[in-house]
Amino acid sequence: MNTTVILFLVFYYVVVIGIGVWSMRRGATDDLEGYLLGGRNVGPLVTALTLQSTAMSGFMFLGAGSLAYTQGYWAFWYAAGDLGGGVLSLSVIGRRMRKLSRMTGSLTAIEYLEHRYPSPATRMIAAGLSVFLLAAYVLAQFIAGGKGLELVTGLPYPVALLIALTVIIVYTFLGGYLAVAYTDFFQSLIMIVGVLWILGAALIHVGGLSAANAAIAEIDPTLLSVWGKDLEFHGQWGVVAGAVLVFSIGYMGWPHVVTRHMAMAQPKTARLAGAYATAWNLLFVSSPYMVGVLAIIILPNLEDPELAIFQVAHTLLPSAVTGIVMAAIMAAIMSTADSLLLQTGSIASRDLYERFINPKASDREMVMVSRGLVLTIGIVGYFIALVQPPAVFDVVIFATSILTSAFAPAFICAVWWKKANTPGAIASMIVGSLTSFVWEAGNLADTTTLAPVTVGLLVSTLTIIIVSLATQSIAPVPDHIVAAMNETAKVGPIPKRMLAMSDVALSPEAEQIESILGHGREEP
Amino acid sequence: MFGLPVTTTLLIFGFPVLWVLYTIGFLVVSRHWSEKADES
Repeated sequence: MNTTVILFLVFYYVVVIGIGVWSMRRGATDDLEGYLLGGRNVGPLVTALTLQSTAMSGFMFLGAGSLAYTQGYWAFWYAAGDLGGGVLSLSVIGRRMRKLSRMTGSLTAIEYLEHRYPSPATRMIAAGLSVFLLAAYVLAQFIAGGKGLELVTGLPYPVALLIALTVIIVYTFLGGYLAVAYTDFFQSLIMIVGVLWILGAALIHVGGLSAANAAIAEIDPTLLSVWGKDLEFHGQWGVVAGAVLVFSIGYMGWPHVVTRHMAMAQPKTARLAGAYATAWNLLFVSSPYMVGVLAIIILPNLEDPELAIFQVAHTLLPSAVTGIVMAAIMAAIMSTADSLLLQTGSIASRDLYERFINPKASDREMVMVSRGLVLTIGIVGYFIALVQPPAVFDVVIFATSILTSAFAPAFICAVWWKKANTPGAIASMIVGSLTSFVWEAGNLADTTTLAPVTVGLLVSTLTIIIVSLATQSIAPVPDHIVAAMNETAKVGPIPKRMLAMSDVALSPEAEQIESILGHGREEP
Repeated sequence: MFGLPVTTTLLIFGFPVLWVLYTIGFLVVSRHWSEKADES
């Protein structure tokens, strides 16, 4: 057991929990809007970094490293999309989603979908899909955290897993969205420092990039190509498209990421946040893939490729620096896991419990239910991660592919296409997720050379267009939604009559918000 | 470059350039957003 590394990690955990406590005192956590969206008061820098660090999970240090280690430069197709995922999402739906969610009084991404596509079925289907997929996604983060701590500390996997999981749950409990956003901000900085440090050390060790590539060419020249080891994916543009799309357009289909748009202080916050997101991505995204490639030379006989980056850090760096790198790896894992837990708890409590079980639930009760669900997911996740831990890469690609296929067209059309109606959105979510799931489960990518997300996204998009157009006469988009969309397209203050304008019969919370804001008050 | 095939070089360095250009384009197109009053 390496004492220096452990001390670094303990210090890191204390800082993270300290930020959570500070956030809790800063924000009123008994208020639901404060707990779920940080009171919609998050600025561009924190928005960008919480969005990016949430999107960059333990996948970046386990899955990305593993993919690059086994497939060489092919892995960079994933980085190619990921580099622009943040700015794409912020520029396409960021400002409009912030404004529309404010007008409809939506506090979760799923509630927002129901308000835009009015029907209890919208929320039931979207919430069910989200809870299942986000729970799977968070499971991958638990496994990644457990594996990392086990390697560095020498603790048994069950103990390491328990420690990682406990820290995540404690600070998610503390302050809700604000705690998550500020810890994400801190962790995103640690991630940058850690990954650049390990990349620098690896490059120095191999004698520079040119020397590394020459050495890789001697092992297997196909690893230098864009088609994978032994040119496995040669000419398979459907698979390439999937690799690029899942982490670019994909951002717009992930509830835990698009929620960041709703929490922005201003719709226009999206503008600067987009620039910050790109800057952060330029520093971060490609580095784990590059370290994975360099690990081919540094650690040619690695038993578990998912540990490539951990092992490179362990092998090349002195203990004190390894501690920083390990903190960075834990930061990537925890900054995603906390957001996933908060989002899953929010959706299950607000979109299922309050909406369908107890519509009269108070804000305090809702926060308690959300926290209870976070704890339950943590406990169930712990035992699954303990008994049968799947590969992190597989789980993340599975969950993100289906989330993208299910929700990206619905979220995009919600602010851009006035004819997108309820039947179209519901059909799109069902058909898109089912297609992607069947493609994944049936390994159809191997026979068709089309990635699940490529097919799922295409089918989901076509479905929302065709079904919406075919059902315009029987299910027109309500006038108040069209009016809200017209207002959303404009840049400027929200008129008083448009605030919390959602039909109160569908959203009791809109009535609460309206009464709090008061009638007739013009937004500044 | 760096001993890599041209296509790999384009993949590694070309996409970052494209996203930087996209971001600059977004900032230019949305420059009037920040000139407007409080939108909250």
